[in-house]
Amino acid sequence: MHSDDVKDIVREAYGAIDSSTEAVAYKLYSPEELAGVPRSAIERALDVGNHLAFADIERGETILDLGCGGGIDSILAAQRTGPGGRVIALDFLPEMLERTAAAADEVGLDNVQTLEAEMEAIPLPEASIDHVISNGVINLSPRKRRVLAECARVLRPGGKLSVADLTVGDEELPPEILTHPATWAG
Amino acid sequence: MAGALTERDFVEKLEKAGFGDIKVHLREQVSVDDLALYPLFTDEIIELMRTLISSDRLEAVATSLIVTAKRRAGHLSP
Repeated sequence: MHSDDVKDIVREAYGAIDSSTEAVAYKLYSPEELAGVPRSAIERALDVGNHLAFADIERGETILDLGCGGGIDSILAAQRTGPGGRVIALDFLPEMLERTAAAADEVGLDNVQTLEAEMEAIPLPEASIDHVISNGVINLSPRKRRVLAECARVLRPGGKLSVADLTVGDEELPPEILTHPATWAG
Repeated sequence: MAGALTERDFVEKLEKAGFGDIKVHLREQVSVDDLALYPLFTDEIIELMRTLISSDRLEAVATSLIVTAKRRAGHLSP
């Protein structure tokens, strides 16, 4: 499938989501973690893992949330980095950025800023980020090598990457599944 | 999911991008029932999966991986 086609499918699929569920968030995150997260972000969580459970987030870090979605990880990371740090929540869908900003406002976080951009071309200077976090979005990119190169470029030397993502085995799924738009977006 | 890499390819791409100290902390199998939790997957595609995917794979159509790494010092490959 052509790179632009994949992006269009992802854009359309995420923009068209009109239902919400708490099931994903409560499957992945502890009640203690979710206690400080607005319901709007919990209901919009489409994550694939809890990478923050393994992420060594230090106070004062500048964190890039690659593909912030509804904002749950941006909120959790912003709480951990504290007022001396900040989270840059990047997404290519304006509606996701609006949700993340609204969720941050709801819990009084002023260290979350949103950035509309594609993860294959991150509009940030070299070595400007301490920690890149990403949850379930790198697999959606048709240019994964480029995404990872951009992550390395914006991270300072020694900077950290914490990722949850989907991988597959060597045995492919049936072609009817692999070519279905839902499996390119999800 | 259709564009997901194997774990081996993912780690290899991390190394080539300039990351070191790569640690895989968690691997969790993702079942069709897990996918059904996500609004992205309609009833139609979930049913298609249950019909076309062999029963021994329904519990593991993908793997959720948690990886941490550090950006190596020095020059990055273009």
